[in-house]
Amino acid sequence: MPALHPHYLRARAQILRAVRAWFDQHGYLEVHTPALVPAGAMEPHLEPVQVGALQLHTSPEFAMKRVLAAGLGRIYQICPCFREEEAGVHHAREFTMLEWYRVGAGTPELMDEVTDLIQAAARAVAAPVPHFERHHVAHLLSPDLPPDDWFFQWVDRIEPTLTAPTIVWGYPAWQAALARTIGPVADRFEVYLGGLELANAFAEEQSAEVLRTRVAENDAIRRDLGRPPHPTDPTFLEAVDHMPRCAGIALGIDRLVMALTGAPHIGAVQVPSPPPTPSSAS
Amino acid sequence: MAHKYDTSDFRNGLKVVIDGNPYVMTYFQFVKPGKGTAFTRTKLKNMLSGAVLERTYRTGEKVEAADIEDFTMQFLYDDGEFHHFMNTETYEQVAIVSESIKDEAQYLTENLEVEVLFFNGRPISVQLPNFIEDTIEYCEPGVRGNTATGATKPATLSCGATVQVPLFVEQGEKIRVDTRTNSYSSRVK
Repeated sequence: MPALHPHYLRARAQILRAVRAWFDQHGYLEVHTPALVPAGAMEPHLEPVQVGALQLHTSPEFAMKRVLAAGLGRIYQICPCFREEEAGVHHAREFTMLEWYRVGAGTPELMDEVTDLIQAAARAVAAPVPHFERHHVAHLLSPDLPPDDWFFQWVDRIEPTLTAPTIVWGYPAWQAALARTIGPVADRFEVYLGGLELANAFAEEQSAEVLRTRVAENDAIRRDLGRPPHPTDPTFLEAVDHMPRCAGIALGIDRLVMALTGAPHIGAVQVPSPPPTPSSAS
Repeated sequence: MAHKYDTSDFRNGLKVVIDGNPYVMTYFQFVKPGKGTAFTRTKLKNMLSGAVLERTYRTGEKVEAADIEDFTMQFLYDDGEFHHFMNTETYEQVAIVSESIKDEAQYLTENLEVEVLFFNGRPISVQLPNFIEDTIEYCEPGVRGNTATGATKPATLSCGATVQVPLFVEQGEKIRVDTRTNSYSSRVK
């Protein structure tokens, strides 16, 4: 049974308290959406945990967009998310995601918001307050590389150099996921802190038609990987057409705690799960 | 066909061949960009030169397993250029270039039993017992009653190695040393 670390769990609670206070001060409404859903992922390299005919969400994005389409304005959520086949020093199958959407805004406003939020979280645990460099991704790595090579080079050469707090923006359009595109560029950014990929943000694509095309492209990528297509949620695509202009961001709370406390691995900032018992092992 | 390891077999201590040289894995980490596929970042130590190589592998990528055998051997002598060992079962003798085992050589004393590693039938390195016991040949006198934790002084052992020992340990005493960390473990009564 892995050890439980009270010091990191207390820091985690202080960070979460600061995060909720920040959203209160900035006029955000906390929402709670179901974790058990018919379609848990859209992106080709995410594997949802299957529960009978349903899946556990890999992020609360689809459901939160239905809330946005209903006109509730600025919203945020802190919830467990699940990704199959992910385990390591910086990856856990179950982790905590903070996701928020700002209506009527784009990625520049979100860059300022995430910076301010992380700085507030750092002050809550008396960690050094990070100041972020901003880099266009094309200045780090050629956007013309084929996807497989692009990610290899990114992991092998580029990511290890991102040791300073950094916001990376201007990703190639083939990495748009659910972001809108502007010509060859996806209008999204990522946040690195302590060398960790901490958050991912989109100026949200508002056309269901565009997203249907991407679903078809993702199905093709998964077919090449020998994996079944992801189930799709028609209520989500319907909601996208009614969603106001907005930008959204997902931030890993466990990694934020790691970066601000120097915890050596993700398990140290979580309450460990007991090992499977013989009767529950499959 | 040589045996191959898959990225899911990766673990510390795994011995592999890269560009014809034997390497031992000293670090591995699962990495997956949020929008991309999974990779494994590794650090590998060249078993011949000691040089450390950093490599990233795609999930499912295969690496050739190193054909490493080890035999229990006794250290015989050092002729200045080679260290000579004898297989305790077959009495076969082998020589290893002294330069390539200089970290381990400091603990070698006549008749010490070690594991000699062979790569493709050629002796390349030695694995010491985790602990050795040896007598302190020289150290500064201890300060009586000083049991302050953490304070240490250098001590030279009769095998020639130097380790940091607590202040209360005296010249002529026998101590137990952890050869993996080059550190003092305890006094031997």
